[in-house]
Amino acid sequence: MKVRKILAVGLIFLLVAALLVGCSKQEQQPQQQQQQGQQAPETEKLKVGLVFDVGGRGDLSFNDSAYAGLERAAEDFADKIEVEYREPSGGGQDREQLLRLLAENGYDLIFGVGFLFTEHIQKVSQEFPDVKFGLIDGFIDGLDENSNVTCLLFKEHEGSFLVGAAAAMKSKTGKIGFVGGMKTPLIERFEVGYMAGAKYVNPNIEILSDYIGTTGEAFKDPVKGKELALKQFKAGADVVYHASGASGVGVIEAAAAEKKLAIGVDSDQSLTAKEDQRPYILTSMLKSVDVSVYETIKSLVEGNFKGGYSVFGLAENGVSYAVNDYNKELISDIQPKLDELKDKIIKGEIKVPVDKKEYQEFEKSLFK
Amino acid sequence: MKRKYLITVMRILAPVLAIVLSAFISSIVILAIGKSPWQVFYTIFRFSLSRLDSVAIILYNATPLIFSGLAVSLGFRMGLFNIGVEGQYLIGAFFAALAGFTLKGLPAVIHLPLVILCGALGGMLWSFIPIYLKVKRGVHEVISTIMLNYISYSLIHYLIADVFMDRTQKLLDGLGSMLARTPKLPPSALMPKLHGLLGLFGIELPRHVYLNWFFPLGLLMAGLTYYLLMYTPFGFELRAVGQNQEAARTAGIKPERVYMVGFLLSGAVAGLVGLSDLLSYFGYMDLDFPRNYGFDGIAVALIGQNNPFGIIVSAMLFGFLKRGAEGIQTLLNVPMDTIVILQAVMIMSIVVITKVMNDYIKRLEKKEDVRVCSSQNSSLQV
Repeated sequence: MKVRKILAVGLIFLLVAALLVGCSKQEQQPQQQQQQGQQAPETEKLKVGLVFDVGGRGDLSFNDSAYAGLERAAEDFADKIEVEYREPSGGGQDREQLLRLLAENGYDLIFGVGFLFTEHIQKVSQEFPDVKFGLIDGFIDGLDENSNVTCLLFKEHEGSFLVGAAAAMKSKTGKIGFVGGMKTPLIERFEVGYMAGAKYVNPNIEILSDYIGTTGEAFKDPVKGKELALKQFKAGADVVYHASGASGVGVIEAAAAEKKLAIGVDSDQSLTAKEDQRPYILTSMLKSVDVSVYETIKSLVEGNFKGGYSVFGLAENGVSYAVNDYNKELISDIQPKLDELKDKIIKGEIKVPVDKKEYQEFEKSLFK
Repeated sequence: MKRKYLITVMRILAPVLAIVLSAFISSIVILAIGKSPWQVFYTIFRFSLSRLDSVAIILYNATPLIFSGLAVSLGFRMGLFNIGVEGQYLIGAFFAALAGFTLKGLPAVIHLPLVILCGALGGMLWSFIPIYLKVKRGVHEVISTIMLNYISYSLIHYLIADVFMDRTQKLLDGLGSMLARTPKLPPSALMPKLHGLLGLFGIELPRHVYLNWFFPLGLLMAGLTYYLLMYTPFGFELRAVGQNQEAARTAGIKPERVYMVGFLLSGAVAGLVGLSDLLSYFGYMDLDFPRNYGFDGIAVALIGQNNPFGIIVSAMLFGFLKRGAEGIQTLLNVPMDTIVILQAVMIMSIVVITKVMNDYIKRLEKKEDVRVCSSQNSSLQV
């Protein structure tokens, strides 16, 4: 009993002490804030914020591409802007709160990375007409040049068409694979473009297709990505393309383990893969999220930010396929053909389907 | 006498100790990422409690967790572990959404209650499967509800992204991405916000707060649950089965019937969990619809010690932690992963401390009873 009593008294003492320490520090707090407040107006840098999508920083893919653009802008305009980024810890309202709190705290330009931000940016942008917003992959209707929102849209299907053609040309088994992240219309566009490209160069090619999951978690599940890729390799595929964010790390691992080929997505994944995996990355479908982020920040710095829509396709160099020191030899024999296809798409001679319905028509036209 | 005094002190001390312990462990975590613990705690409290919108958002955050905690606690009270609240609320929310966007042109007075009813019905339907299997075939409810959670995830995905997806959303030549969501619900199906009511008392909530009538409804539901458990014959049976199924059977209670009715009730309450978000904030159901309320509900029920009023308090604690997290994330740039650790530390400290203290208090009470009894005995002898 006695020991417990002493313990209890001790704890109360500790508590009071903690409270006292707390109170005394509280007095210091306003002073610190005042100091910060005094510093702020002197510099007057533009504040740029970025909120990540599911998967977050370090996915070596979509989000990292956006981050690369942010980082490059921070370096190039170091004296004019300061940048910050945030990762939402939950879905829905949490995302919107982060956007709103950044806007409240004097940010001038805020990016929402991913189409899941569409509704949130629509709401928050109306509350803060003086803050500019960049929305990647999402479409908000009725914007014009004077809007405070710019939608950064990509023709992922065009880039996917090229890597699909590359996969079909490199395949010896006549079977190729696709691993998607979360089954959404956006990821389906990657799939459709890939299938169209493959069928275009080889109408008899067989395409295996799998999706990792039905929630946002599907973009950060490399274990399942690897499982699905292994399954496709075992079923005879020898090139697998992924559009699954951080889960794609597993797809690349599977390709290296099976000594088959993988195609990366969004960033040039040959550069971030492990040394021993690099020979097994045929190429990557580059989606220049970094360029779009960088250009938007640049326009803000130069004072000519425009609202509305910016579209990045093959013609704008917004999407392409990666050539680097590691895949140069691997890809050199098919490069002329790929560039020819690229020209045809830019000229409009090939119209790449954007959804399953258009794909069916496209497939029919091939067999005529 | 002295012991009684000690017991009261202990009861008050328990939550305080929990906070001290969690603050201590959290401080180590915060120091490890190179931030000042003091500043982090100060920001959490200041941000969450000094802004009107934060306070309202805490209540908004707590709303689904009150329902979820109540649903879980109903199960616990009769000795069943309803892990399936997660799936039940998703199915419930989908049913409600379905009733929302398919029925058009109804007046709000009919439409809204109908939508809420459909939510409860959906949850009930999803809870019927495990309890039927339990009562008729003896399948353990933990296994079946966990599996049904997985099924509900995929089923909801299929229903939202394939069958009922709103394909009328505009795109720019097929670019950008449509949200995988149901059509929007008409205004007659939406729950009014509390702004009007609070405005009468001179409290002007900002527009971006979605605190709605589900919050008072949640409080009412807690009251009803308490009444059901404590003041009705069925509540008595339910508690009796929960404490000792065989003893209850001997006393003439049919545990199977109690399980069936109780679990369906739990499922019906679970069906309401997602409605606060669905019918105020979203106005449609999409793939981004909040998850994990069901699992959070288990923690809420345990911290609230399965007492409906305790559940209200612990749901608010969770709402507070969530809002505080948004604050330190935006203002201090504390990484998301650290925040998840901090929240877990706080919840665990509370669970551990309350458990230890409760056991201690129980032991003290027993001794006190023994002492009282023996003194009565001795006085009788005299």
